[in-house]
Amino acid sequence: MSEKQTPDSVIRLEAVGLTKRYEDGVLALDHISFSVAAGQIYAMLGGNGAGKTTTINLFLNLIEPTEGEARINGIVTHKEPLKAKKNVAFVSENVMLYGNFTALQNLEFFSRIGGKTAYTRDDFRDILLRVGLPATVHHKRLKEYSKGMRQKCGIAIAIAKSAPAILLDEPTAGLDPKAGYDFLRLLETLRNEGKAILMSTHDIFRAKEVADVVAIMDSGRIIMQQPATALVGQDLENLYMHHMAGRTAALRQEQASC
Amino acid sequence: MFGTLVHKEVRAILLSPKFVATFAVCSLLILLSVYIGIREYQAAVRQYQTALQLNEQTIRQTPDLMRLQTKAFREPDPMQIFVSGVIYDVGRWVPISTNAVPQLSGSTYAEDTIFAVFRVIDFAFIIQVVLSLFAILFTFDAVSGEREDGTLRLVFANAVPRATYLSAKCAGAWLGLAVPLVIPILLSLLMVMVAGVPLDVSHWMRLAALGGLSFLLFTFFIMLGVLFSTLTRRPSISFLLSPSAWVVLVMIIPRAGTTAAAQIAPVPSAAEVAGIRDGYAKERQDQFIKDLTKSMSEVGSCGSTLSMKTHDSLRSEADRDIAQNDARVNEGVRNKRAVQERLAFSLARVSPAAAYHLAAMTIAGSDPDLKDRYEEAATVNREEFRKFVEKKGSEGGPQGIRIMASSETGLKIDMPREMGAIDQAELPRFNPPKFGLENALAEVIIDIAVMLLGSILAFGGAFAFFLRYDVR
Repeated sequence: MSEKQTPDSVIRLEAVGLTKRYEDGVLALDHISFSVAAGQIYAMLGGNGAGKTTTINLFLNLIEPTEGEARINGIVTHKEPLKAKKNVAFVSENVMLYGNFTALQNLEFFSRIGGKTAYTRDDFRDILLRVGLPATVHHKRLKEYSKGMRQKCGIAIAIAKSAPAILLDEPTAGLDPKAGYDFLRLLETLRNEGKAILMSTHDIFRAKEVADVVAIMDSGRIIMQQPATALVGQDLENLYMHHMAGRTAALRQEQASC
Repeated sequence: MFGTLVHKEVRAILLSPKFVATFAVCSLLILLSVYIGIREYQAAVRQYQTALQLNEQTIRQTPDLMRLQTKAFREPDPMQIFVSGVIYDVGRWVPISTNAVPQLSGSTYAEDTIFAVFRVIDFAFIIQVVLSLFAILFTFDAVSGEREDGTLRLVFANAVPRATYLSAKCAGAWLGLAVPLVIPILLSLLMVMVAGVPLDVSHWMRLAALGGLSFLLFTFFIMLGVLFSTLTRRPSISFLLSPSAWVVLVMIIPRAGTTAAAQIAPVPSAAEVAGIRDGYAKERQDQFIKDLTKSMSEVGSCGSTLSMKTHDSLRSEADRDIAQNDARVNEGVRNKRAVQERLAFSLARVSPAAAYHLAAMTIAGSDPDLKDRYEEAATVNREEFRKFVEKKGSEGGPQGIRIMASSETGLKIDMPREMGAIDQAELPRFNPPKFGLENALAEVIIDIAVMLLGSILAFGGAFAFFLRYDVR
């Protein structure tokens, strides 16, 4: 395993010329490259079909790239998927867990298949408390949980895995403001612990608030990528709309010239 | 990893409403069927004992050997509690006489046709029809359901090998379904023991073999359900495919096999066979009368009496010819039936459900060959009986009918002597056919192979499809 050193950190997640063309010919991802270092939150913004979820699926090796590589801790995911997945935790949109299981049972199961077998029941309780799930709900079945509570349970699973990298697919979609706020605080904590976090989102405000690097994707390409510090004072919404509009106009021009 | 996944599967099954329904239905049906089976068995035993006593009484009251006719009875077997097979279709007794063809008569369904309409529910039926359906309903969404719920993506975000995941799915479903099967089975065995049904070592071994076959069948249906769950991305499609496959395997193929075999290799009906036999017998009887008349006219012209020896000789010659013809016809029919049966069973065995049904009947000794086994044993008994009657007849001097033809007195018929009461202790005893477990096991090897092969193919198919399954 080769770890690419940056001046201040270790690269945990890296996309190199990552391309995905589906069997029906649709180009979902077009030679994208980026990296996420330890202690960094990388937010991918974009509309539906921009390629955000495809990128995450490629990192999880749920699909194979047509070209390029996705690397986790330097391990190429489609070449050594099992080894790569040991180094990453995943929290999906609408965190879908086993509804008939309690939070503790879900946490226990996913921790074990994540390779963490030494945890005790007390450890699991501590993790659930840490993400803001009170002891009174630990034995409740997940199907009785609200979306925000399920999201916290998903984060608890990611924490329990103790992986150096975390992938988040639309983690704040549908959360109420309080739940969204709590969630972002959790992300900040994880970042401070040195986790590399790749997050896809529609939510430009929360992305700006928490991310270290913000990328805007459209039609499978990264059309803008800037450190959050460079965005200070800028209206990200206007920037987003500007890039998206520009891209759309360019596409229209291309189509017209054809 | 495997243990964790299996544990999760079992837990998910135990917590699901499907499990509660399966457990309740299986328990109720198995216990009820065994309870009814015990009652039926006890009634059959009582009927059997009464029939034996009546037969003995009839023999006691028979005045002479010429009119003697006895019966061999089919003894109820405790295994019929679990697998009734053909016991209600084949007769319960065989008439034994010097000239009648031994055939099982007096079947339960022939007497109480109402029960023939919907048949009985026994353990084998519950496994073949009910549990197989539950097995497939348990697993049809094993993979596609998790995909639709979104948990599959989360599971495979971890370092979980696909082979391990699929094996754990199958093992978990198997264990989860074993519970609703094992508990009522144990309870029903307890019920059988409490009811005082006599079970010897052979019965216990047969029951163990039956249990093994049952687990093999539901393993196949679990694998089949898992296969369907890997064929589609939507459980709603799996839900349509799985019961359709179940109907074909459990309902259509076994019946279609029999129907096809009947068309390909027809066997004369019982009425046709009886017609052939009776036709020859009548012809031979006419010949006998002609021969007798001829002999009588020859001796009449000489003024002497037709000797009993001549009559008996002609009679036994005719009887022998009729018996030989009967044997020939029976043998021919039996051979044709054997060909038809082999064909029907071979075609039906395409379905592991049919293989299970055949194997369960064979293990329980209530298979279609039961009739032949009993009739063969009855044929042996009939031969001994015939020899006994001949021996007794020769010991007691001339017997039968004496016919005297005289120009003066005309035709005079008389019976030279009454044989008197028959000593039952001397009568040859009917030995019921023995069908050992080792013979049964040898016969069901093909059925076991069909179920095993079916399970392996279904799992192999599921594995092949799952390797390419889009878990998103």
